[in-house]
Amino acid sequence: MEQMVLDIKKALGGNDDFFIKRDYLLENEVLLLGLNTLIDITKTKTIFQKQSEGLISQGKTSETIFILMGELFEDDTKKAITSILEGKLIIYIENTKKFIIYEPVPKGLNRSIEVPSNESVIQGPSNSFTEDIDTNIGLLRKQLTSNKLLVHSFTTGKNQKTKISLLFINGVVDKELVENINSLIEKNKSMDISNLQSLSKMLGFSSWDTISKFNTTELPFHASQFLKTGRVVILVDQLPFALILPNLLWDMFIVESDRNFPFPIMITIRCLRVIGALIALISPGMYVALVAVNPEALQIELALSVAQSREGVPYPALVEVIIMLVVLELILEASIRLPKSVGPTITMVGGIILGQAVVEAKLVSNLLIIILAATTIANSTLVGAQSSLSIRLFKYINVILSSLFGVLGLVVGLVFISSYLASLTTFGKSYLYLNIGRKEQ
Amino acid sequence: MKLSNKNVIYLICSLLTMVLILSGCWDNKDINHRLLPVSIGVKKVDDQYLVILNIPVPIDGSMETKIVSAKAETVSKAVDTISRNMESDVDLLHVKLIFIEKETAEDGINDIIAGFMRSRDVSPKALVAICDEDLQEFFNNIKINAEKKGLSTYNYFEKNAGWNPDIALTRVWEVFRGIHSYTHDVAIPLIRSGKDTTMDQIGSAILKRGKMVEQISSNETLLYNVFKGESGNGKMEVMEHATVMLLGSKTDNIGRLVNNDAHMESLIKMRVVILETKGEPSLNLIKEEINTLISERYNKLFTKLQENEADVFGMGQFFRNQIPRDELKNWRSDYFKNMKININVKIDIQNEGYLKTT
Repeated sequence: MEQMVLDIKKALGGNDDFFIKRDYLLENEVLLLGLNTLIDITKTKTIFQKQSEGLISQGKTSETIFILMGELFEDDTKKAITSILEGKLIIYIENTKKFIIYEPVPKGLNRSIEVPSNESVIQGPSNSFTEDIDTNIGLLRKQLTSNKLLVHSFTTGKNQKTKISLLFINGVVDKELVENINSLIEKNKSMDISNLQSLSKMLGFSSWDTISKFNTTELPFHASQFLKTGRVVILVDQLPFALILPNLLWDMFIVESDRNFPFPIMITIRCLRVIGALIALISPGMYVALVAVNPEALQIELALSVAQSREGVPYPALVEVIIMLVVLELILEASIRLPKSVGPTITMVGGIILGQAVVEAKLVSNLLIIILAATTIANSTLVGAQSSLSIRLFKYINVILSSLFGVLGLVVGLVFISSYLASLTTFGKSYLYLNIGRKEQ
Repeated sequence: MKLSNKNVIYLICSLLTMVLILSGCWDNKDINHRLLPVSIGVKKVDDQYLVILNIPVPIDGSMETKIVSAKAETVSKAVDTISRNMESDVDLLHVKLIFIEKETAEDGINDIIAGFMRSRDVSPKALVAICDEDLQEFFNNIKINAEKKGLSTYNYFEKNAGWNPDIALTRVWEVFRGIHSYTHDVAIPLIRSGKDTTMDQIGSAILKRGKMVEQISSNETLLYNVFKGESGNGKMEVMEHATVMLLGSKTDNIGRLVNNDAHMESLIKMRVVILETKGEPSLNLIKEEINTLISERYNKLFTKLQENEADVFGMGQFFRNQIPRDELKNWRSDYFKNMKININVKIDIQNEGYLKTT
């Protein structure tokens, strides 16, 4: 065996799924190399034979046939190993040091295109991204048939090869933004990318940002609309969602499929989401402020009924709220973790235990249960898993400041949050831009 | 100055500690540990103040009224005494009503009102009323009548509940203004406990510089409210030929100084609905009747006020730019007393009743 094959064997031979098979192409002896867990060998071989026979019958020379079969390389062991790991078939032509990277029939390791599991669509296209990056690009191309849609692909990672694609619409997008991202990916190509944290490290974002720099969506329809307004979409292989850069505040409140409703209804729905964000941020803090620090701000009737509902609660309002909020967060977290079949149980347990028993045991006031329910429901009106998590975190700032300074603290908390949001920028684009596309025009 | 990471951490830590140490949040009392009195009664006994608090206490879903009292040299000391003896802290922030006994009011309530304004325990928006009977008895009667309805005293004066346009609404800050202003006095509702109802309104007390000087009737109070621009909506007027209901009113005043004599032109525009008639009076007759009724009542009221030199309508406000400040302080005695008032009433009958079906 030749040196190059030996080198490949040395690198990959420890794997039981690595194969070297002898075959013939024209009069040449060839070696087929690949991983049988990624390649459907039988089918690939059949197609390979048929293709070579067809080419032979046309009377092509072996040299042209090699080129037509796939990409031809010479003496590049590293490239060969990478290709094998990516699921390609290497056809090594003996005695020539040349090899062809052949596109095999892959094993069916991808799920089919399904409806999104985390973002539900009322009326609108409901294909969702899958793990396979090529399928995802295809989905986007289908949504957005335009010769201006450009795709830049990179393979990154030292130990783990990951394909990243950058999509944008030429002419709409800010060129500087694309250049920035391009050069950063190029610069940090050796980083291993498997999650958003490593990707934001690659793009040079601070790891202490509480608001994600990426807006994520599972829907090609939404991604394509973002592209049209001058955003950049990044797709990472094996991540079944698109990352939209830059992420803006207003994205928390808009869903592109809103536009399938009449205009007034769209406005109302969006207002509702803004109200939702405010309720989620304010209401627990407001409860603490009004109950513990500034009861004079309440109407007397309300003050008396609140006082009555808190009669016998053994701890201060702050502790009460924090305990219940933590329990609530636990339920939310648990319901993600739990298998679907057990999910309803937790709802029941949560609903009955928290709703009834806690109040009856006089551990918390029943007004608080209402506040918590309102908070959780309001929080869920926000668009995007990333944004609603940030809001979930921010409300604790308000709760603590309210417990110290009352209504004033609540306002200070809101000012603090607003100024934090205003301080965020992504590649020079402020988080508070309403629409960067329109700005460019 | 660029801070290093370590310094930033120190800075944040020290700021957080300061917030925790300096906020004093451990003094916050939860709402269920505060007693929230709705009304407070003040009476002067010799050199001491008797303070009575009316506290609604929620017991098993219904409100019960608790009456507590204490006597001390000052009002705040008395409240403090009550607070000490009660199981929760007394918090005057929700006090909506301040009752002052008539005798005390006649002696002057300057100190009491100034105390409330200064301490800010009681909201300056709280209403002031004068109680025309023994305060202790009054509160006891409230307790008996308002059983299970702890807020009835408060609802009595609430505009969207039991208020009527012939009850004066006067806030603590207005009384305070009346004490210190050269040109403004106030009328305060005069209340006593009722036989069947919680409270009976018997008219209004005229307060001049913080002293009760005169008493006016409910009808006259209506004029006071109409003049002040408070809604007179829903009030009936019964005349010889018709009964009308007042829908709204507006007052335009022009004050002029002629030869150092104050002249006042008042135009009162009233919108009314005819409810009942006797016979078939013409619209003009009805207008005439209302006109006479209202002007007569106004004139009578003004004469009464001028005698007492109490400018509850704030007529002096219209002369503030015409009288020098050092003379303005004699407004009540020099000008108001001899002021000529010309009242025109313009009636707009908006509706002749719901007889026509077209």
